[in-house]
Amino acid sequence: MVSYDDGANSHPSSQTAFLSRVFSTHHKTIGLQYLWLALGSVLVGMVLSALLRVHASWPDTAIPFLAGIDNAPEKYAAMRLLHGSLMVFFVLTAAPQMGFGNFLLPLQIGASEMAFPSLNRLSFWMTFASLAGMISAFFLRADSGVNVWLASASVFCLAALFSAWNFTTTTIELRAPGMTLPRMPVTVWAWFINAILSMLIFSVLLAGCCAVLSDRLLGSDFFSTSAFLANQPQNLVRQASLPILWQRLFWYFAQAEVYVAMLPCFGFTTHLVATFSRKPVWKERLVVLALCGVGVVGFCVWGYHMFATGMNPYAPLVFSVLASSLAVPAAFLLASWLGTLWNGRLRLTTAMLFAIGFISLFVAGGLSGLFLARHDLAKASVSEDFVIGHFHLVMGVAATFAILGALFFWFPKMFGCRLNETLGKAHFWMTFAGVYAIFMPMHWLGLLTQSRLFAEQQRMALAAAGASIRTFVTVATILTVSAQGLFVFNFFHSLLSRKRNGVEQANPWAATTLEWSVASPAPEDNFTGAATAVYRGAYEFHAEAGNDFAPQHLSPEQLTQKRP
Amino acid sequence: MPSATSTNEIELIVERTGGGGGGGSLPPAGGNGGGDGAGGGKKPDKGQPASKRYFTGMAVAIVSILMFFMALASAFLVRKGTSGDWVPVRIPTLLWFNTAVLLVSSGTLELARKRLAKGDGAGFKTYWMLTTILGVAFLIGQLLAWRQLAQQGIYLASNPGSSFFYIFTGAHALHLIGGIAALGYVARKNFSEANVTRPVAAEVTSYYWHFLDALWLFLLALLYLGK
Repeated sequence: MVSYDDGANSHPSSQTAFLSRVFSTHHKTIGLQYLWLALGSVLVGMVLSALLRVHASWPDTAIPFLAGIDNAPEKYAAMRLLHGSLMVFFVLTAAPQMGFGNFLLPLQIGASEMAFPSLNRLSFWMTFASLAGMISAFFLRADSGVNVWLASASVFCLAALFSAWNFTTTTIELRAPGMTLPRMPVTVWAWFINAILSMLIFSVLLAGCCAVLSDRLLGSDFFSTSAFLANQPQNLVRQASLPILWQRLFWYFAQAEVYVAMLPCFGFTTHLVATFSRKPVWKERLVVLALCGVGVVGFCVWGYHMFATGMNPYAPLVFSVLASSLAVPAAFLLASWLGTLWNGRLRLTTAMLFAIGFISLFVAGGLSGLFLARHDLAKASVSEDFVIGHFHLVMGVAATFAILGALFFWFPKMFGCRLNETLGKAHFWMTFAGVYAIFMPMHWLGLLTQSRLFAEQQRMALAAAGASIRTFVTVATILTVSAQGLFVFNFFHSLLSRKRNGVEQANPWAATTLEWSVASPAPEDNFTGAATAVYRGAYEFHAEAGNDFAPQHLSPEQLTQKRP
Repeated sequence: MPSATSTNEIELIVERTGGGGGGGSLPPAGGNGGGDGAGGGKKPDKGQPASKRYFTGMAVAIVSILMFFMALASAFLVRKGTSGDWVPVRIPTLLWFNTAVLLVSSGTLELARKRLAKGDGAGFKTYWMLTTILGVAFLIGQLLAWRQLAQQGIYLASNPGSSFFYIFTGAHALHLIGGIAALGYVARKNFSEANVTRPVAAEVTSYYWHFLDALWLFLLALLYLGK
């Protein structure tokens, strides 16, 4: 299941060897385990999203295999919950940070292992248990299902906390000699900032989950509706019809969770754009500052909620300003990506296409975010479809593009072979067109449903248009989900045919960072007795030199020897 | 594929020796291990002991534990400020006694570390044991305080004020149980083979213990002033 080869089965004591591989403390094995977990989750999650769309478009049709759906609304809600949990926790949180991060962080900073390998193993298996719990919650009755879901979420929080401690400590303590902070690759910065953000916000979700569980199981009254409402001014009660305190605790987490998913993706994109433009990252320090800015503001949007009690009339204004101010670091990042691309000698590999696709989706999704950050606009013009379109475009799909780009880029280092570029490009273009066809009309749908100001006739026409748009979205979803079969085929076909294709080069993309100084796939102990010292920054691409890049691990003397 | 199989064997050997040992068997710090001979003389030497990661890890863990309690504390303030059903809990007198016990335990922990630094193993053991006993005494005291409240008919589910009282004391007690486990680990573990020395382990544990001590003072102040 896990690692480089299937040779373990031929070993005499294959059972113990298999167990020690599955329950390994090794960072690369654990990283791959997270990625397998994410791959499984994303496939199930995508199928669920197609089923949800089918139900939204043709509510009368029974969904195949799920006959209970059409007469049980709570099952439909449970399905949405499962889709969201799988995608947010086990794909967007697990893949970019814990999957790629565990595999690559020690390699990129020149370490042989994470700081606390046993803790790392514990955190993976807790994540796995949490996944099992959330899936089983779907099959339980709604009442006990919610309890199991909450318990699973708490376990995931603990796992994420352990993982965040590990990342932070590893980055601070285990850097190779010469790997100063300014020389760290932007990916490492992103994982580091993300780990700090995670270790703060997952604590809050854990506290919230514990309190809700105590309410549900022990009869306590943290999130009471009735007592809370009785004390509110009459005009506010209508808005505050749900247990506000729980919503707040949850959203403190969830607001920042968006950035937890996005930060490593910013790192990947910066890394890929620089490597395939053959240029240094434009204004690298500003990029790192912008990443810090995303972390700090993401945290403040949350921190602000903490002190707001009840419905302070100034609250939405502050929230608006803070949320809009996220556009500032985002604009920095965008400027840097475009500045790096500018006049670059672009190599349009599949990985690069996905990175550019990320930029496109990030901009498209980010623009509608500006509408949502304005509380007055959001209230007047925006409905659920608009919000779903927005956050799927920017958080779900854009992040997935960055993950796919990273996978195409680091696949040789993980498995010792490349993914097929032709299939990869076909898959990219189909998905790229597909996601725009799904989520752009969804924005329109969101605007259309707010049409109560129109005359009756116009409203009828709009409703008819809405129905056809909805069908269009559903068909596009089914096609896009089917197109992912191409990726799955590419993935397994490349893996299975790697022996035929011979040995992969150590550095197939002519990249600069430390992981490319070792063989592909990366050897078990990372830097086998070799000196890991770092002599320069992470993105030294120079067009004028004969060899157009300077790897971090080569000393100046070695570099001049290499250049004729 | 000879290269692939040899990689495999190395992997198996490494995992069998390294993976089975549970908590203690950590590989040496990255980059500092084998690379000093090769690669030219220009390498800047960081000169950090491998144990430094444990201090960093503890600091990071303390920050997130603090965040957990801050989330509950702000929920406490919000819940209390916006609802009409709040009945404050009268803090049992026993809690003041428990607090004194916990404060003294921080002192004995420091005394134990002083003995250890002087190489007085027996003195270390005595004070370390005393600290553990005081920690357990604190926990028993908290349990008795809960029983006193229960006898007055104040339970977790009685009202939000009591819910917060129980969840604060309970969550703190859970963390303190972890601290007692750490005390026991440091006292019993044979450090001669591990790459961490006993003084280092004792110091890392002491940070956690003092943090729990300070956290308790904060929670007590919150419960007392916030009634």
